[in-house]
Amino acid sequence: MRAHGTAGTWCSVAFALGVAFAGCGKARETATGEVTAVKKPPVDSPRPLPDPEQQGGHVGRAPRRITVAQLRASIEIATGRPWKGLDALAASLGRADFAFVASESTETNLVFAKFLEDGAREVCLDAAKSDLLAVGANRVLMRELPDKIGKLSDVDDAAMKKNLVYLSTRFWGQPLAGTELDDWAATTRMVSTRADATGKRYEAWAAMCIALITDARFITY
Amino acid sequence: MTMKKNDSSHLHVGCDCGLETGRRSFLKAAAGFSGATVMGGIGFKQFAQAADLAPVDRNFVFVYFSGGWDQLLSLDPRDPDVFTAERVADTRILPAYSLLAQDPSFPTDVVTPNQRRGAPPSQLNFGPAMGNLVDHYDLMTVIRGINMTTLGHEVGYRYFLTGKSPVGSAARGSSTATEIVGQMKPKVPIPSVAYGVETYNDRYPGAANALKVSRAQDLILALSPSPLQLDSDIEKALVDLKGKRVACEAQLYDSRGMLTSYRDSRDQMQTILSTKLDRSFRFELPENAEVRQTYKLPAAGPYDSAQGRAALVATALKKGISQCVSLSLVGGLDTHFGTQVSQATNQRNGWNALATLVQDLRTSAHPSGGNFMDHTTVLVFSEFARTPLVNALSGRDHHLTSSCLIMGAGFKHNLAFGKSGDIGMSPGVIDHKTGLPDAKGRNIFPEQVIASVLASAKLDYAITRTEPLRAILA
Repeated sequence: MRAHGTAGTWCSVAFALGVAFAGCGKARETATGEVTAVKKPPVDSPRPLPDPEQQGGHVGRAPRRITVAQLRASIEIATGRPWKGLDALAASLGRADFAFVASESTETNLVFAKFLEDGAREVCLDAAKSDLLAVGANRVLMRELPDKIGKLSDVDDAAMKKNLVYLSTRFWGQPLAGTELDDWAATTRMVSTRADATGKRYEAWAAMCIALITDARFITY
Repeated sequence: MTMKKNDSSHLHVGCDCGLETGRRSFLKAAAGFSGATVMGGIGFKQFAQAADLAPVDRNFVFVYFSGGWDQLLSLDPRDPDVFTAERVADTRILPAYSLLAQDPSFPTDVVTPNQRRGAPPSQLNFGPAMGNLVDHYDLMTVIRGINMTTLGHEVGYRYFLTGKSPVGSAARGSSTATEIVGQMKPKVPIPSVAYGVETYNDRYPGAANALKVSRAQDLILALSPSPLQLDSDIEKALVDLKGKRVACEAQLYDSRGMLTSYRDSRDQMQTILSTKLDRSFRFELPENAEVRQTYKLPAAGPYDSAQGRAALVATALKKGISQCVSLSLVGGLDTHFGTQVSQATNQRNGWNALATLVQDLRTSAHPSGGNFMDHTTVLVFSEFARTPLVNALSGRDHHLTSSCLIMGAGFKHNLAFGKSGDIGMSPGVIDHKTGLPDAKGRNIFPEQVIASVLASAKLDYAITRTEPLRAILA
């Protein structure tokens, strides 16, 4: 699990949207390991949600960008390796030094976007290269692909999508689905074909990893 | 290694996000925000069209001297023959310029600038640490006797950055530079750069945000393509993927616009990288030899010195990269103990770097006519000043009354406005129409200085909730 509170936040957001949130607590495990159903509350029991019309069109708290410390932990847990260059850039990414800067900046500004892209490239290329030498659960970015990969472009659509769903859940806490999954799968297919052609096979899934890290869902909660 | 647990796949229902009321409201909010971004700010298309760089007609430079300066050494001097040690019980002011005698490069008296050719004689006097900047007296307005209302570093600093008194130590409102680019919407690739200073934006689209860096190398890194490049077709596929339509859920999540701001930043990044602006700031390159010579920079970086920072400002303005540059030029001024020489040396480093910048700008022709100083307003400030008495540790502590310097476009020149008290350098009670002491007058506060800067460019200064000092406006 990533170090910051994204998981709970998505639940909160979903609840705030008034969506029936069956997946967040259907069952409860007792101390003895027995699973018992949670009683559904009466329909009129939940407090009504505030009217978005009265609140500028939104309910719930605003999303926040993760701090530098959270970013460090998130990248390390998601990709299995640290962003080595992070400390040198931490001040410009927003970390407070409590000498000259007393509060952490969590702006999603241009410098943050650029340095995050640089960091993503560093860790994703490393992760993709080592994945090609590993199999099964020892992989990070290609876990759901066959152990023996010849051409990346030969991987079937089902395996490719399964891997994308795995990665998006791992990186964002939220699986890709629907047309968005189709878009990502098409891009994966395209970069896989190209990577096969250039002989730099690691670039295919490194590119998808970069896209996952630089997506807003990775850096907010 | 485990995954995050919040499977919210049930939310993926295309763009029919569940409740009809919620859908209508959220879509309205999202549409409102994106409209504001494109129409109310510096839209990405407009931004992208700025590939042909050209300096804007009006530039601004905000120069911060960090730590609280000793204004007796620079902007608000006192005659040491009048404010003597013998009279200190009455005046509560001790210039102590004689303590600088251990470094013969410092004068030990008030400095009156030599008359500049073609300019009237100086109406301004300065302290011994002003360095070469005194030569540019003919472009200066000095505001003295400002009541900072605080002795806290962050508070005074943020007060001057925003023109609003902070809440506690938290800044209110936008930085003045953000306010300027937000209102003027310049067609330059990086409207505002904040180098070693904080920057705030509370009401403008993300494109008005300053590019904020803490060192010169970070600016170059921010403007340079990543050294780890993928195959060009794969790079293109990545860009295309990011340009795909936003999922409905993300759109709802973005009802306050944070994700749009992030996407704007990424779009800006792509455009900036394509223009190879980093080369302009790589002063070690042969093509930048003239900059190195002008600012006396070494052949190899890093260029984080005061002179290097001044060179960065000049480059950003002269090449039409930015409209506003805010920077911390020097630090090391919080001299509660030590010698007067260290305060004077640090200050002079800053003033000399600023002098090089001003000399460069006033000798560089602007495409719209005149020189760059005719099109540039420079505001120099510190969070407060230092006590007019030397403490038991040979230093000076925090003092409420400060001063600031404005140079260049939009202001009268060779002018001193306001005056600190001759007893303890108390905040001036000033007639704002004349700038002279008046028992029926009022204090001068930072928000009036900021209102004046905005008014000098005919910008809306309502955010300061005060009137500008009209007597100093050109």
